[in-house]
Amino acid sequence: MRDKAYRNITIFFFLLPALMLFVGVLIYPILMSGYYSLFDMRSIRLNGTEAFGLGNYKELLLGIGTEAKKVGFLTLNLPTFGSINFWKALGNSLLLAALSVFLQLPLALGLALMLGKGIKGERTFLSIYFMPVLISTVVIGQLWRKIYNPDYGILNAVLELLGKEDAAHTVMPQGGWLGNVKSAIWCVFIPTLWQYVGYHMLLMYAGVRSVSPELREAAKLDGATDAQVDWYVVIPCIKNILRVSVIFAVTGSLKSFDLIYVLTEGGPYHATEVPSTLMISMLFLRNRYGMGSTIAVLLILLCFAFALIISAAFKEREYYGRKKHV
Amino acid sequence: MKLKKVAATLLASAMILSMAACGTNTGSGSGSGSGSSSTDLTKEKITLNMWCIATESDSNRHSYEEAIKEMKAEYPDITLNWEAFENQSYKTKIKAAVAADELPDIFFTWSCAFLGDFVKADKVYCLDDAYQAYKSELPEVMLGNSTYDGKHYGVPLTMNIVGLFANMDLLKQAGYNEIPGSYTEFIACCDALKAKGIIPFGCAGSETWCVTEYLESVIEKSVGADALNDIFLGRATWNNSEVGAAVDTFQKMVNDGYFDPNGISLKNDEVKANFMAGKYAFYMNGTWNCADFANDANFFPKVKVAEFPVINADKAKLGQLIGGPSDTLAVAKSSKNAAAAAKYTFELGKKICHYGYLDGCGLPAWNPYGDTSSVNGLTQEVSKICAAADSYVLFGDTAMNADEANIYLDYVAQVYGCQIDGAGFIKGLSKDIR
Amino acid sequence: MAGKNTFDYGMDQYQVGKTNKFVKVLFYIGLVIWAVIDLFPIYWMFTFSLKNNEEVYGANVMGLPKSWLWSNYAKAMTTGNMPLYFMNSIIVTVTAILISLIAALMATYAITRIVWKASNLMNSFFMLGITIPIHASVVPIFITLSRMKMLNSYWSLIIPYSAFSLSMAILICTGFMNDIPKDLDEAAKIDGCGLWQTFGWIIVPLMKPALATISIYTFLQCWNELMFANVFISDKKFKTLPVGIQALAGQHTIEWGPIGAALVIATFPTLFAYIFMSKSIQESFIAGAVKG
Repeated sequence: MRDKAYRNITIFFFLLPALMLFVGVLIYPILMSGYYSLFDMRSIRLNGTEAFGLGNYKELLLGIGTEAKKVGFLTLNLPTFGSINFWKALGNSLLLAALSVFLQLPLALGLALMLGKGIKGERTFLSIYFMPVLISTVVIGQLWRKIYNPDYGILNAVLELLGKEDAAHTVMPQGGWLGNVKSAIWCVFIPTLWQYVGYHMLLMYAGVRSVSPELREAAKLDGATDAQVDWYVVIPCIKNILRVSVIFAVTGSLKSFDLIYVLTEGGPYHATEVPSTLMISMLFLRNRYGMGSTIAVLLILLCFAFALIISAAFKEREYYGRKKHV
Repeated sequence: MKLKKVAATLLASAMILSMAACGTNTGSGSGSGSGSSSTDLTKEKITLNMWCIATESDSNRHSYEEAIKEMKAEYPDITLNWEAFENQSYKTKIKAAVAADELPDIFFTWSCAFLGDFVKADKVYCLDDAYQAYKSELPEVMLGNSTYDGKHYGVPLTMNIVGLFANMDLLKQAGYNEIPGSYTEFIACCDALKAKGIIPFGCAGSETWCVTEYLESVIEKSVGADALNDIFLGRATWNNSEVGAAVDTFQKMVNDGYFDPNGISLKNDEVKANFMAGKYAFYMNGTWNCADFANDANFFPKVKVAEFPVINADKAKLGQLIGGPSDTLAVAKSSKNAAAAAKYTFELGKKICHYGYLDGCGLPAWNPYGDTSSVNGLTQEVSKICAAADSYVLFGDTAMNADEANIYLDYVAQVYGCQIDGAGFIKGLSKDIR
Repeated sequence: MAGKNTFDYGMDQYQVGKTNKFVKVLFYIGLVIWAVIDLFPIYWMFTFSLKNNEEVYGANVMGLPKSWLWSNYAKAMTTGNMPLYFMNSIIVTVTAILISLIAALMATYAITRIVWKASNLMNSFFMLGITIPIHASVVPIFITLSRMKMLNSYWSLIIPYSAFSLSMAILICTGFMNDIPKDLDEAAKIDGCGLWQTFGWIIVPLMKPALATISIYTFLQCWNELMFANVFISDKKFKTLPVGIQALAGQHTIEWGPIGAALVIATFPTLFAYIFMSKSIQESFIAGAVKG
């Protein structure tokens, strides 16, 4: 009996530092955010404000009123969102997530497969591709601001070098790369792609290298082409890593903040607004602490939901029965 | 927080008072016996902290440095630790600090609603007692924007208006020797500039306050100062079709190609540099820019300043300006040495104002003292415009509280980007701001 | 793929069959193009950090600088305070790494090596942290820190950073610790070691490879963080690199040289360190992902 008590105390002490950090810095603030989200808190004072119930959630998700709008040949009473368009922000970050999954990851996978063939100088390529991952996001944001600069940016200069004459007027969209409503979201995505392709590539490369050569040889002997080997042997083997990559890419897009904040601050006209930038502008520009906390709560819930969905989606088709650690 | 009319005579009286004000300091101002005995700043050694936005590249930097140097010599027992932050991140920072009761003893703030939010939250020290000693040097009208429920909470520094700056070299190329005085001439001038391949206006779209410098002038010169003031201060709604029409006037200027299309993604510093490099004929912005223009020996001879012309003479007239005293220092209620900090702030504010005026960072909110003949010609021109002023409307984003101001800026940005027209502007604002 | 080092398969025996020469050339072209895309912005950043505005603004956009303007660096060092911010970033990052390492090792030991009922639940609880966005908790943390009078100190960043790195660290630790045979614990127990001794003398020394992996992940997270650093620190003495760069860029919008210099100062030391250690960094990084 004493032994058991001693063991329990030991367990407690082993867990104590981690629990203190985790509860104090993560869990408690989330609970506080959840609590704050039930108040209006338009003034700076964080106490003594009247209860607001689910008002923030209502305004955020259902808008501030309805308005008749034509959708095709139907006229519907649709909600209007005024200046807080959470759905648009969410749509943007889902778009970023989709672009990551369907552009960035395939590109990374392609590079990983190519490198995995044992090409001369693969180490050098690997090192170069990983470099942008190590650069601070603020540096990348400032650098790309300069690259996109409508007057002196390198992007226009490169385009001109490639034969587009007077790129600043012919190719660049009106308002500049980051100033145009249509191009801005793409221009925000490209640095993300640039930075993190190397990250995902390295993960996938590790997976590709861990596929046993015998397996490949066997497939080859059966007459499979290189592409077929990659598709039918290598990719199924690295499914676990693909899952990790997809989770990182999707939750990373939902969480994305630094780069967008440095590049556009969510503009022009909310074209690149994502939930985190919306939250920051609620908290620190408009002094709406209740609304900011509401967005924080929703953001956390969304990240959880997506992580679960992705895990489930991969699990369903997992027939290789790999050993899992988590 | 009523916006008071700033006395038009302020500069005239300033010249007369200039010598008399010089010698006074708090040492003799013992009449202001607030509860804290007659310590008058210098009895014991204290340390005060101050936050401001006078970063190294800010045109106000020099005036802060000079003023603080002088304060150090006059009050050796008070140590001032001051930090300067970049404008945009300062707004985040100061609000977070208020929320957490972490304000420094003295802090820079914009007057009216920005400071008003803090006053409402009961975080700002009332300066009524300390002000008594400075009544003769700081006219009470200048405190109007930082007065709430009849109590004073801020020490104003400089006051500024929106000026229409013009590069006369470029205007001459289009055949104009003066800034056109009427709106029709003005538009004709813009067309002439365009025909010469010169972009008439530069405006930084990625900092929406720069757009308001244009838009608010157009609205004011269309509907009149009183109507705009009523809207900004919540006495009238945005649902005003004349405002909508004025917004359309502004948007027509955008659509007619008077603005640099790349301006949307530029920062104000970049636009200003373009203007000084001769890329734009006009640049509408605060008169604090006079300091930077005066410092550029190449550019200074070319630049002139004027008031934006009247668009609708039935409603508006010359002398209706956008601006007023906005840059303010305030004292935190949580400060341990609030009473001493209050007096220190008045002294410091007076000196910052003095040097800022000499540098051309704006017009003095305090009665000027000392030799002011070195003030640059552009600032003197601005003071003439102000001397003839009829009424002022404070910058919209300063006049409104944080939430409304940002909704307003949001719609202004959309107007500049031609996402909505005048009708959409007034409809959206009257719906969103309740 | 547990346990095995990813690089166990040597390069020579790994060559699979004979790839078509034409395809191989295509591969090379693709790989080289991406390498150029990766390097070119970095090269450009370096060149404009040494140019004056005239060259940046058109006279010489892409070439090497005509006269190397090291004064830009002097400006970034003095008015931009880059060396101080760099040191601060290092202090904050290194301490955060140490704390999250220790906390993660201890917690993982309790979760994976000691048998108790709720250990799985506890693990899932920690895993919640992986998806939580750091920005979502800025206001509550700010208020808590201010109540504890901890704003404006290294600790105001170190504590949140180590907490937010903790989940990933535990995840990686679990992967590595599961690979250590349980027999070792048994043997230690027979030799009379308590839980603490087993942890200190047996487990920790065997976890060395995990330490490198966790350090790199934590480094990436802490080195970049902007939001907390901006809000929690107002004293120049404690500002970190991202805040310093953001402030410098805000102040010198039109002078590209000093900004470029600051960006280079913030980037190149890390890149050089990486080039010297790239093999081990890559391996630790991969190890982490595979364990996860």
